[in-house]
Amino acid sequence: MDIAGALSFDHLKFLAAGFKVTLYIAFISIILSFIIGVVFGTLRYAKIPFLSKVVAVIVETIRNLPLLLIIFFTYFALPEVGLKLSPSTAAIAALTVFESAMLAEIVRSGLNSIDKGQKEAARSSGLTYIQTLWTVVMPQALRRMVPPIVSQFISLLKDTSLCVVIALPEFMHNAQIIYAQNINYIFPIFAVVVFMYFIVNYCLSLIARRLENRQA
Amino acid sequence: MIRFDSVNKYFGNFHVLKNINLEINKGEVVVVIGPSGSGKSTLLRCINRLETITDGELTVNDLKVNDKKTDINQLRRNIGMVFQHFHLYPHKTVLENITTAPIKVLKQSKEEAEKVARSYLEKVGIPEKANSYPAQLSGGQQQRVAIARGLAMKPEIILFDEPTSALDPEMIGEVLDVMKALAKEGMTMVVVTHEMGFAREVADRIIFMDQGQILEQGKPADFYANPKEERARLFLSRILNH
Repeated sequence: MDIAGALSFDHLKFLAAGFKVTLYIAFISIILSFIIGVVFGTLRYAKIPFLSKVVAVIVETIRNLPLLLIIFFTYFALPEVGLKLSPSTAAIAALTVFESAMLAEIVRSGLNSIDKGQKEAARSSGLTYIQTLWTVVMPQALRRMVPPIVSQFISLLKDTSLCVVIALPEFMHNAQIIYAQNINYIFPIFAVVVFMYFIVNYCLSLIARRLENRQA
Repeated sequence: MIRFDSVNKYFGNFHVLKNINLEINKGEVVVVIGPSGSGKSTLLRCINRLETITDGELTVNDLKVNDKKTDINQLRRNIGMVFQHFHLYPHKTVLENITTAPIKVLKQSKEEAEKVARSYLEKVGIPEKANSYPAQLSGGQQQRVAIARGLAMKPEIILFDEPTSALDPEMIGEVLDVMKALAKEGMTMVVVTHEMGFAREVADRIIFMDQGQILEQGKPADFYANPKEERARLFLSRILNH
């Protein structure tokens, strides 16, 4: 094991650059998939004729495919139909598509978990369906959804490492390049990788727990 | 004011309401009683279209409740509803619970809506709870907030769906007192309840339902002293003699 060699300044700088890419890709994908997930989940919950069915088919299809396949697809298959994406755009697109479908299901089940009496009380006071959803059902559902949504975000952050297959220069990718040079680097580099993923994801868990406690 | 004309309702194959003919006048307090599963709550919930009727005609203020052209939100703002399980919004304070609909539906300003809300909280006897959350209140207090929430829309009709059935016995009185006061002010009320004391004291009319039909109706004094239907007699003997 060569700790000093593995953790040289250049290597750490290279790892940091990879970590920055991981965080950047995860952050953008989280924002986009949250928005799309809420919209799709709500559309499915609302049982709008035709539209809700279409959304259901899309969500179910994506949810039942491996993320790796979607990543391959966006990077290797889309160019065949004339859509050539850079590794980072392809990564964001693939993660957003996949995580949106997962979040849509969380949102739908969160909305479904709200007692139907809440909706009846709001509707019988003259509120429209949209007003009821927006001021009565959604705020309550979102609070309940915090834990599963955050664990989905944690999954997303970890899943960015799958983008190593399209040579996205993210954390795992850069770590691999370093330890591939010298077998004695493997353990120290893995230790750093483990530590960094753990720290970020654990912080997310803590934030979730705080949000949960605040509303309880 | 409320008129059922040969109304039928099915849940799938189950015939819940059978040929209902009923007219309720302005200012009348009508109490609906009957064994569970007799269709009382369904009857009530049809009035503001929480349930849709299968056939027949149901009008409120001459507006057909089930007509697609009827603006249901317009109709509903005029019909308050109080539920067995209160259904207060748990994420909103008492004041917000009461002011949500006046602000969103009647477009009242926040100040105006809060002023109205506080006056109704005064009326139901818990002005000091304005900034509490529903979970901090007792069942009786929650139900009184729910009544205040209904009143804040200044409806002409209020529907009560077993308003005291989920309450501890010692809290039933405080809710009934509020309802009695409303009845005496001339509010049009349709009340599904098992509170026979309340029915006897304030109802203008008792309606007895069984198996989806209105079997008997009459003034409380007559109905309790001398129920005509065998089924009604049996029902009364069961709930009064214990």
